[in-house]
Amino acid sequence: MAYTKRDKILMRVQKPTRYTGGELNSVMKDKNAVDCRWGFCFPDTYEIGMSHLGMKILYHGLNKRSDTWCERVFAPWVDMEAEMRKEDIRLFALESGDEVKDFDILGFSLSYELAYSNVINMLDLAGIPILAKDRTESDPIICAGGLCTYNAEPIAEVFDFMMLGEGEEIISLVTDEYIKWKKSGKKNKQDYLKEIAKLEGIYVPSFYDVSYNADGTVMAITPNTEEAKPVVKKRIMADFDSAYTPEEVIVPFGEVVHDRVMLEVFRGCIRGCRFCEAGYAYRPVRERKADHLIDIADKLLSCSGYDEISLSSLSTSDYTELKELTDGLLTLTEEKKIGLSLPSLRIDNFSLELMKKVQKVRKSGITFAPEAGTQRMRDVINKNITEDNILKSTRMLFEGGWTNVKLYFMIGLPTETDADVEGIADLSQKVLDEYFAIPKEERAKNINITTSTSSFIPKPFTPFQWAKQDSREEIVRKQDILKATIKNRKIKYNWHDNRASYLEGVFARGDRRLLPAVLEAVKMGCKLDGWDEEFKFDKWMQAFERCGIDPDWYLRERSYDEILPWDHLDLGVTKEFFMRENEKAKRGETTPNCREKCAGCGATSFKAGVCYE
Amino acid sequence: MSNYVLKYSRDDRVKYISHLDFIRTFHRTVRRAGLLMSFSQGFNPHPVMTIAMPLSVGVTSSSEYIKIGFAEDYSETEIMEKLNNAFPVGFKILAVKKTEGKELDFAKLDRAIYDVELEWSGNDFNAEKFLENKSLLVMKKSKSGEKEADIRPYIHSFEVTSQSEDKMTITMCLSAGNNYNLKPDTVISAMEKYTDGFKVDFFATHRAKILAGNKELL
Repeated sequence: MAYTKRDKILMRVQKPTRYTGGELNSVMKDKNAVDCRWGFCFPDTYEIGMSHLGMKILYHGLNKRSDTWCERVFAPWVDMEAEMRKEDIRLFALESGDEVKDFDILGFSLSYELAYSNVINMLDLAGIPILAKDRTESDPIICAGGLCTYNAEPIAEVFDFMMLGEGEEIISLVTDEYIKWKKSGKKNKQDYLKEIAKLEGIYVPSFYDVSYNADGTVMAITPNTEEAKPVVKKRIMADFDSAYTPEEVIVPFGEVVHDRVMLEVFRGCIRGCRFCEAGYAYRPVRERKADHLIDIADKLLSCSGYDEISLSSLSTSDYTELKELTDGLLTLTEEKKIGLSLPSLRIDNFSLELMKKVQKVRKSGITFAPEAGTQRMRDVINKNITEDNILKSTRMLFEGGWTNVKLYFMIGLPTETDADVEGIADLSQKVLDEYFAIPKEERAKNINITTSTSSFIPKPFTPFQWAKQDSREEIVRKQDILKATIKNRKIKYNWHDNRASYLEGVFARGDRRLLPAVLEAVKMGCKLDGWDEEFKFDKWMQAFERCGIDPDWYLRERSYDEILPWDHLDLGVTKEFFMRENEKAKRGETTPNCREKCAGCGATSFKAGVCYE
Repeated sequence: MSNYVLKYSRDDRVKYISHLDFIRTFHRTVRRAGLLMSFSQGFNPHPVMTIAMPLSVGVTSSSEYIKIGFAEDYSETEIMEKLNNAFPVGFKILAVKKTEGKELDFAKLDRAIYDVELEWSGNDFNAEKFLENKSLLVMKKSKSGEKEADIRPYIHSFEVTSQSEDKMTITMCLSAGNNYNLKPDTVISAMEKYTDGFKVDFFATHRAKILAGNKELL
């Protein structure tokens, strides 16, 4: 047997099964028998990418087509990348092992801004020109989808097109058009892009010119071809219950982040927390029926052999058939000796009973996300939970024998004062007091409270998209307040790296002028920025400086009349609604959830889900 | 509960799976096959299962053994068929035998036969001269760290089966198991150390057999 260069380097790297494919339920096809070879590229490591629900859906969905073979591509870890570059091995797909530069379409999943450097690095490693304008008809088409595409302007010029919204349908439509274009001889890439630009949800960055004012703000975003819509609207699966969902799942050999069956219960969120982009992006809420979900769960468990299943959605407690679903799943899991792992449910009698039935939860901790320390602050962000709710819930938990409680907060929220920051310490202490209020003989030992703060990052398509992001110094100052005020040794305080939040904030509301800095940073070795041990903040700052960019400028407050870099994109919630919500936030007024009262966000235009319940 | 010993192979496609990952993969395979495992009693029940001589990452094998308890009394052919249908490509169950008590004891396994393919450069390697060495002192990893040890007594046979100007295949029988485990990697480092200018650039190992008193269990 002849051993290839790749065989040899696999003997030298950590976790080689990240690179070999061959997992159960991965899809093999004859490459000569398909018209289109897709590479689903996840710009992070195998362990992260294989935990991504969107990839699971789109991978199996595309592979249902007999004319298409979709394979998986991940960012190699640093050791593997170094070996690949040394041995001149280009980025390859896991199923066939073939180099992705010979594929038809490569689609990147953009879930978080700190993966932008990985996209660039992966294209470089693949030997594919990075910018769309430098690629010819013989290069693969490079596209993107995922939450970040609502403002991926900092790297927009990398992509031939982006898909806004939910991908199940659109990914197949662009494949149809691609195959037509390929069969007609692939004459001009523009022809293909103009054809798909007519489809709802397709954004072709090169079809829009952006001009800037002297003060640096956007002057205009102008379509430069008649096929380009003035505003590109996202696409959703209106009938979510009957939308395609895979009945098989790839089972990795090594451990991945979410190493279990994930059951997508519903899409969207009725809550309207004002800081949360996902909460608006997946509107309107659309549910899957409980009996349908139980059937899917049974199939996924049988085909995978997994011994654990978890529910996936935002705010799972809002699922209208939660009792039917969990009853059905418990029957299934008890029968098969399978663990049911629950997401963070609102704590009430029902969820407490449920958690007692599910042994796994007892061992791990229970997580609460009050998000802010004072009622005023929680009203500002529309987190409709009161201190009384939190304390009653934790009391119930402590009485039920739990002693491991995690509390999640944000600092740097709009209108935040030092008193609001100190409120985080107060609330943590009050939770602890609830524990000590229980007679000693009735409570379990070893109370353990972990209070974590992340730094608020204003995101596009939220009411806070105009807000100022706290500077790094200000975040550190607030973290120091908490370090000084959380005195009790039973409360552990964790805080998030202010440098990563800073960079994420720059990209989140960034524009196309950031591209040179991203390219420069990657040239300087920046990649895997989401990994603490690989994050090279100093190099990022050098890259900005070399490109003459002041990153602080992107954290500033915006005015309502400023044209935002994402104003030509539409996720179905209107700018007027966001302005109204922002004004209400300033007054500390809350907005009821979608089921209580329609707030008129604009998502009714999709004619689906909760808007029509 | 019924106990079974399974013999299985793993080929190049699954050779990078670590021991712990293999255990997880195997549990999932059994569940997918619809076979019910016996679980240990206690606070954290886990399947009753023993693997003979865990394989190193990167090594293929045609002779691996697992002892496993099933909650039901399945026929040997049913287990073989169901597991082979459920295994990821690259694994294959070769034999299944129901067992009671101490027969098919993994503790008695004491030798393994390996086929090694290697790519070499530099001066020629001479097997006869190599084996004439009364002792072969090399650095060997043990539980208490790395130290120099004489491995010669644990090489029971060693035969170069083919040789070209840059490749070579060797079949070797080495001590293995709980008493003394000698890996082919260590033998290769001895080949380099005791042959001036001979260098191994790459090698691939296949475990052909594991033996108890010169006999295979199944």
